Amino acid sequence: MATRLRLPLLDFPMLSASGLLLLIGLATVYSATTVPGAHEGLWIRQLTWLMLALGAAWVAASLHYRAHDSLAYPLYGISLLLLVAVLAFGTSAFGAKRWLELGPLRFQPSEIAKVATVFVLARRLSHPKLDLSRFRDWFPPLLLVLVPFALVAEEPDLGTSLSFPAILIAMFYWAGMPAGTLILGLSPGFTLVLSFLLNPRELPFWLTLGLGLVVVIALVRPRRLLLVTALLLNLGVAFAMPIVKDRLHDYQLRRIETFLNPDQDPHGAGYQIIQSRIAIGSGGLLGKGWLQGTQKGLSFLPMRHTDFIFAVVGEERGLLGALTVVILYGLIIVRGYRLAAVTRNGFASLLAVGLVTAFFYHVIVNILMTIGWAPVTGLPLPLLSYGGTALVVNCIQLGLLQNVALRRQEY
Amino acid sequence: MLATLALGAFALVGLGLLRLQIAEYARYRQLSEENRVRLEVLRAPRGAIFDRNGELLADSYPAFNIMFRPMPAESTERVRATAQPGWLHRVSALVELDPAEVRQLVRIANTSGNSAVLRRDAPPPVLAAIEEYRGELPGIEVVVEPLRRYPHGSLAAHLLGYAGEINEAELTARAADGYRPGDLIGRSGVERSGEQNLRGRDGAEYVVVNAMGRRVSTYADVEPRSPVAGRDLVLTLDLKVQQALEEAMAGVDRGAAVAIDPRDGGILGMLSRPVYDPNEFSHGLSQESWLEMSRGGSNPLLNRAIQGIYPPGSTFKIVTMITALRNGLVRPGTHMPQPCHGSYQFGGRSFGCWKPEGHGTLDLVGALQHSCDVYFYQLGLRVGLPRLEATARAFGLGERTGVGLPQETSGLMPGPAWYDKRWGAGRWRKGVLLNLAIGQGEILATPLQLALMVAEAAGYGRALRPHVVLRVGDGTNGGADRPAQSGVVADREAWEALHTGLELVVESGTGTAARVPGVAVAGKTGTAQNPHGRDHALFVCYAPVEHPTIAMAIVVENSGHGGSIAAPVAGQVLRRLFLPDSLQRAAPVAVAAAADTDTAGVAHGD
Repeated sequence: MATRLRLPLLDFPMLSASGLLLLIGLATVYSATTVPGAHEGLWIRQLTWLMLALGAAWVAASLHYRAHDSLAYPLYGISLLLLVAVLAFGTSAFGAKRWLELGPLRFQPSEIAKVATVFVLARRLSHPKLDLSRFRDWFPPLLLVLVPFALVAEEPDLGTSLSFPAILIAMFYWAGMPAGTLILGLSPGFTLVLSFLLNPRELPFWLTLGLGLVVVIALVRPRRLLLVTALLLNLGVAFAMPIVKDRLHDYQLRRIETFLNPDQDPHGAGYQIIQSRIAIGSGGLLGKGWLQGTQKGLSFLPMRHTDFIFAVVGEERGLLGALTVVILYGLIIVRGYRLAAVTRNGFASLLAVGLVTAFFYHVIVNILMTIGWAPVTGLPLPLLSYGGTALVVNCIQLGLLQNVALRRQEY
Repeated sequence: MLATLALGAFALVGLGLLRLQIAEYARYRQLSEENRVRLEVLRAPRGAIFDRNGELLADSYPAFNIMFRPMPAESTERVRATAQPGWLHRVSALVELDPAEVRQLVRIANTSGNSAVLRRDAPPPVLAAIEEYRGELPGIEVVVEPLRRYPHGSLAAHLLGYAGEINEAELTARAADGYRPGDLIGRSGVERSGEQNLRGRDGAEYVVVNAMGRRVSTYADVEPRSPVAGRDLVLTLDLKVQQALEEAMAGVDRGAAVAIDPRDGGILGMLSRPVYDPNEFSHGLSQESWLEMSRGGSNPLLNRAIQGIYPPGSTFKIVTMITALRNGLVRPGTHMPQPCHGSYQFGGRSFGCWKPEGHGTLDLVGALQHSCDVYFYQLGLRVGLPRLEATARAFGLGERTGVGLPQETSGLMPGPAWYDKRWGAGRWRKGVLLNLAIGQGEILATPLQLALMVAEAAGYGRALRPHVVLRVGDGTNGGADRPAQSGVVADREAWEALHTGLELVVESGTGTAARVPGVAVAGKTGTAQNPHGRDHALFVCYAPVEHPTIAMAIVVENSGHGGSIAAPVAGQVLRRLFLPDSLQRAAPVAVAAAADTDTAGVAHGD
């Protein structure tokens, strides 16, 4: 009886969207790596990784999530060790250590750490005695996120590290934290962003900060403890940022500044964004045709098979192709959140939210980057970009979501 | 709520895509074309230059230049690569240039956006090495461009001139003529005056390049424009004459020689010493060599044949004599009241003859033959300054000859007006006339003017139009339609007397060193007084006397007397041209011996 019910419970829209994106990804990687040069023919390796990823997804979907659950803390521990190992022995590229090499294998532990963190967070936040209106119950989850966040940020990989707080915020919200409290809790983050837009050593910054805090506090009316903590945190960020900014890597600062104004430095860091926008824009409605992209084909587009693969889709397949990809991603994410809403088990529901949010974060930050509306952070596009670890981990994420879908009626 | 947030974010992405791909499609489409399509100039070869017999004097050949080309949209990878010391050192080692120099060139190229030539006309081994490592050296390209070549090296360097890469100032000044950076432009000589003909019209083609700036294919949508080669120039120059001049003048430190065809005024040869090799300019002159050339005391860039000015000395007696004869003031047999005793008293001053012991009594022809100054002082007083000036100007003195070479100097032929201006009306003495009559004093002439003077004298005063371009390669005339000057009008008797005198100068007068066995040569020696050092030696001549085919002027600076220094040079040239090879070797000995005895009498004269 139970066996018969299983199959129809798979989320078919999500499954089909995932399958289509993987096919589009393979075709695009093929196009991006048939260009003569260093990356020629990499699509064959991607195909090999895909087989492995599908196998992993099958396993992730088959085993009951409770089995994964029991593995959550050991996995989390191992991934933290791997992150430390990256900092110690990692392979560098573009001034950052992000990869570990094990013989012929090269993988990115931050991807594994992300999934492990979702698991431990889901477990922690689904604890029956948890009460998020209690201030001290915030700290264990915060700590669980802070450690991998700090380790990844140290690599440095700003883009991936920011996915941890994004996951935490969504899961806090899902676990029942009031929106107002969440906003106040996030306010130091807004202050952080503000410190890049305005000079924290000058008056306009302080005026904006003060006005913003007054408005938020007036709307939320927090309890005294929360209010004091939030104020202290905001002031802490405001005072610390000038010092932190001085210590940021040059290329990190440049990327942020370039994001704010890419045309100011067309030869340097702005080059990638400009070339990506040219690629997408010149694709027009229908695109230049598969394998016909000139931005891609003549190597003007940097990292065309990895971080900027969406630009290849935009150039060769035009608005129709790009929108198709966007809609497929939207389908997966909306179906994912809907799944979380209908899942009866609290742990499984939180797991789904965390996994979908991690996925969502990567997709949206990457695509916004390629059209020039987000800074160049070095994030791959899930399911499309070339890269073994990310492909396997993303497939496992989707497998786990199907796992939850299969068992969504269990308590 | 989370799903709504996600939908909102994706709607934002959709808006972004709409804006890029629909609203701004045209702009980005164009940008992507500009990215990959580059205009490449196809350099038109400059026209070649030939002598009158079709011997090649200058042409262009395809040279392989190693260039650094910055991209309009520089890729991050490229900037990084070219800034690395590894890149710099490898490139410097390959082009065999100092790394500091390469860094400087690359920096300028990157800031200006213009290509930089790292090595012009690279030899095959360097090219092979570059080709081998090209994939690893972003920005480095091998470009074929025509380079100027002068196969005879420094031969006729001043006449031919040289062509160099156009500079910033010239680009601004001649922007309307369509010059581009990297173009060759004639800087001096025929290269400059013939620029309009020599210069071709560059072609252009559009090519598809990749992000590293490497050419991938030609761009099919726009037809390439083929380059049109410049027109060839055929000069009046005769390589044989020029070579004879070069050989004869080889030992001269500073001086000039001009050979003219007295029948039509075509320049047969022109030489100025010291000399330079124009090929050096094609390869890009180093700062030091340029300074050495342009500032050095002897200034090899100066074309002394048209820019050097010298007092004509006794060669000017040709003019004084013709002035007197054409105005009917004397006859060829006329004696002057006062015979020559070595000096002449005038206005309380003593004017010496070059021969202190004196010439005794001479008629006009004899006075020319022996270059008697005392006779010519009296003759000068008889003709007067206005007549002398008019005749000199009719011979082309004091005016640019219009030979068609840049920067020609006019020299100076002073007349009453000039002296009035210089000293005030009536405040100068008639004594100046004595000096002028023997070609000393304020009068100055270029070697070309002197050659023209003697050529016109040879041709019975018929006006000549000196020119260097015989014809333009496509058949059009080299400018023979330019108006000729007036010429010198005198009766036949006058000219024949002059010719007799000039022939006697070489036969048994002051110019015996210019004798050629079997060929009648007419000439006149001259010694230009030089207040700054030793006198300049001059000699003008034409041959053969019966039907002159060549007229020459030779100037040797700071060397001594015309008869002993300049006349032998002319003699060597004429023997080389008129005697068969077998006789040439023996001839100089015989002639030198004859010259020794003959010039013994004029050892201190001109």
